[in-house]
Amino acid sequence: MKVVTGVIGNDIHVVANRLMDLSLNARGYEVFNLGVNTYLEEFFDAAVETGAKILLISSLNGEAEGWSREVKLLKAKYKNLDQLIMMIGGNLTVGSGNSDDIVPRYKNYGFDLVCHQVDLNTGLDMLEDYIQQQAHLQETANT
Amino acid sequence: MSQLQEEREIILGNENVDTFDFDEVREFVKSADEKLFISHHFATNEKMLVQPRGGFPTYEKQFALYEFFVDANVDVLPLTIDSNSRLNDYTTAKKMLRLSEANEVDMLNGYPLVNHGYRSTRKMMTHFNHPVSLRHGTPDARLLIEIAIASGIFEIEGGPITYLLPYSKNFPLDKAFLYWKYVERVCADYSTLNKPINRESFGPLTATLVPPAITIVIQLLEMLLSLEEGVKSFSVSFSQQGSMIQDIVTGKVTRKLAEFYASQIGCEDAVINLVYHQWMGAFPMNRDSADQLINMSTVIASMVGADKIITKTREEAVGIPTKEANAQTVANTQYTLRILSGLPAITDEHEEEILTSEVHAIMEAIFNDPADTLWRKVFNSIKNGIIDVPFSPHIINHNKMITIRDSQKNIRIIERGNVPIPDHCYAYEKSCCDLNKDTTSIVNDIIHDIGIMQ
Repeated sequence: MKVVTGVIGNDIHVVANRLMDLSLNARGYEVFNLGVNTYLEEFFDAAVETGAKILLISSLNGEAEGWSREVKLLKAKYKNLDQLIMMIGGNLTVGSGNSDDIVPRYKNYGFDLVCHQVDLNTGLDMLEDYIQQQAHLQETANT
Repeated sequence: MSQLQEEREIILGNENVDTFDFDEVREFVKSADEKLFISHHFATNEKMLVQPRGGFPTYEKQFALYEFFVDANVDVLPLTIDSNSRLNDYTTAKKMLRLSEANEVDMLNGYPLVNHGYRSTRKMMTHFNHPVSLRHGTPDARLLIEIAIASGIFEIEGGPITYLLPYSKNFPLDKAFLYWKYVERVCADYSTLNKPINRESFGPLTATLVPPAITIVIQLLEMLLSLEEGVKSFSVSFSQQGSMIQDIVTGKVTRKLAEFYASQIGCEDAVINLVYHQWMGAFPMNRDSADQLINMSTVIASMVGADKIITKTREEAVGIPTKEANAQTVANTQYTLRILSGLPAITDEHEEEILTSEVHAIMEAIFNDPADTLWRKVFNSIKNGIIDVPFSPHIINHNKMITIRDSQKNIRIIERGNVPIPDHCYAYEKSCCDLNKDTTSIVNDIIHDIGIMQ
């Protein structure tokens, strides 16, 4: 399964991005890693170009929120992205904040999966569960 | 007029420069006190030179920082440049400097040298009469180094590879090579007037599990690119890696091969120095632990036999250090160096042999690239992954090499990617690690290995 990933905004924190690349590959995904300092348009362009099923955005400096507000608006300009699984993870706020507030906010911005300060492998397990769930729903709908 | 001089006049015609007087600057360098030249201190001093890091936006604060450093018995003063100037954005730097001056709040993370200009900065440098090292991280440092030398700053850190691959995602690498060629030529030209200007490479790179073979290759390449333009004094460097023996071996191989490759291009007359950076990775939050780590780094630097040590502070994990904390490290490091004696001579011939073979093999592959000049060979080698820097954010970097620590915390290559590590060396590196694990556990090991000092 194809996944596009990268670090959003003016954020040069590269270490987790490389580790995510390694882990996704190990789990059998075909990874298109856009690296650090990536803008929202670049993510969507890459999703269209590669035909990826998953978009996995990360952030460490907390800037993600400013960018995420534009997700719905921008995504609507693209065709064929309705089925794209949208996931975001990392440190999703500047300063401190708790997941109970942050997760619903990001879901509202248009993300299916939101991981605020969640361990890398836990996050990727969540993604796998979600994919299975979706597949199951699809099956049920078809029968 | 030479082509270089034509280019210099264009660079110095920048609107942020208040008329650059070439003749006056030349005269200044010619008659400058030898104490301002670090190359003079390297030549006459047996002791390891101690240099902290530090830069503040305003003249007054930088001056106050230097007073603290001099009181703490500093050997080399740093001038760290702010991040706007590093990106050649002098307009923003100017605005932020004004705000810093008006409000007593630091709006810049360093000294905007171009905006201050050389006339006033020179007053500070000649007042303290210490050697000063320019620390920046600028891919296009042409204007910056002109103003630095005109100010009496006679050591220039950086290079086309070491100031690009760790810091930038998409600044064009080929341009960086050409911009740094200018820097080397200007340094070489001024070096004929008085003591030589010293150039220093930035060995720590990403400071994240970079194996010594990669560090050394890049040090040697930046040294060669500098010497071939006529620079006569050059410092190769690396940062504490996590294992004392690996540091000692790295120091030995670096010195040995720097001499070897310099003589290969007929530059035996150049002086090569070795610089050691105290731990550059993630620091402990606990200030007392940080002090212990810093002290240990100083001991290892002595075992390595470095000519200069660059210090950290107990506030590393917290933010930009205060001048007090910064000066305290200088005093502590000087104290450790003063009392440390009777160090044993330690070698590990097998490790030295492995590392030497790795470096030779990579260098050979680079020299075998069909391009006509060294910088193009190096450029191609980075592009095709013969040089691969772990955790570089730059799009040109290959990112195929994977490294991990063995039980002694030595950094080992477990996936060489396109880097031509000889088979027997590769087999040895892998044999030092437990590789019967799945990728998930290896990723967890890497996370652990990055944070070993925390």
